[in-house]
Amino acid sequence: MFFNVYSVSITFSIIFLVAVIELVRKNKLQERYSLLWILMSIVLLILSSTPIIINTLADWLEIKNPPSFLFLFGLVYLLIYNLHLTTVVSRQSEKITRLAQEIALLKQKVESEKENEGY
Amino acid sequence: MLLFVCYIVCYMYMKVGGVFLNILVLIPAYNEEKSVASVISQVRHYVPGADILVINDGSTDATSEKAVGAGAMVVNLPYNLGIGGAMQTGYLYAKYHCYDIAIQVDADNQHDPSYIHKLIQPIIDNSADMVIGSRYIKETVYKSSAARRTGMVFFTILIKLLTDKWIKDTTSGYRAVNKNIISFFALNYPVDYPEVDVLVKLYRKKFRIMELPVEMKARKTGRSSITPIRSVYYMIKVTLSLVIETIKTIEE
Repeated sequence: MFFNVYSVSITFSIIFLVAVIELVRKNKLQERYSLLWILMSIVLLILSSTPIIINTLADWLEIKNPPSFLFLFGLVYLLIYNLHLTTVVSRQSEKITRLAQEIALLKQKVESEKENEGY
Repeated sequence: MLLFVCYIVCYMYMKVGGVFLNILVLIPAYNEEKSVASVISQVRHYVPGADILVINDGSTDATSEKAVGAGAMVVNLPYNLGIGGAMQTGYLYAKYHCYDIAIQVDADNQHDPSYIHKLIQPIIDNSADMVIGSRYIKETVYKSSAARRTGMVFFTILIKLLTDKWIKDTTSGYRAVNKNIISFFALNYPVDYPEVDVLVKLYRKKFRIMELPVEMKARKTGRSSITPIRSVYYMIKVTLSLVIETIKTIEE
């Protein structure tokens, strides 16, 4: 009776929120990426807090089982966030490539200067 | 290991060089080819004994060449890191080369270099660890939009809540720091929008922060990188960061 998808959702949201804040606190997660996780936790918390919102939205989308909406929301959010992360990874790849190139060129410069000094 | 080498170098320098303090003026620059040379020559005029380092944050214009031409040392970042990454590069340089005082001066000519002496004096006297040049202590000629002023007030109140200190100009980049803070910033400097963020971090570490009034000029050349949407995102992000930072404080 007490243990339903809503209460599990609320508990999970709170634990997740605390976990995200802890990670930022310990510098394992940068603030700019934590924002979206915190936003998700809060939205999940609000959605789970009362069946009314879920029921209305489920009706509107013609979903027979309202709690399925919670899962739908979770899945869609994860998909979008994943896409966002892959763009972040793409940008980071470019930066790493650039760094490797700069280091190689620097090494070449340093070694050629050492050779010149040899004379 | 690097720290050890640094101490040896510093020790040797002190023995040979005498008592005067090494001052480094840090000028972060992103596409400021029109104003950077002017800023450099003004700095050289007002603080002739100081070294000047321009941190070229991946500019696509002639900023780097203009800076070299004006007689400053230049560091060219391979790509744009933002003000946080660029300034940290400057502090790393200051740490490796054992500077005693580092002062940030913007490349867009908004910071008036004639105030540099005023800002570094409390550091020389050891009455403060960081000195902020503030636009809002006295009535100044500087005019900003209503939106900006609201943002400023918001941050001032937030900082007051979190650190119990009244800092009127929390986003001013015109700041001078001493050697201890140089070391601290070289290791910890927020990547996004650092000016407000570090105030809480420094308060945690019990550093002494002083605010002095200065005149700032309106931006004449180039474009500001702050847009309205970015401002809102900025405010949310920094508020969150400050709150989390403070949670750290409470727990320790």
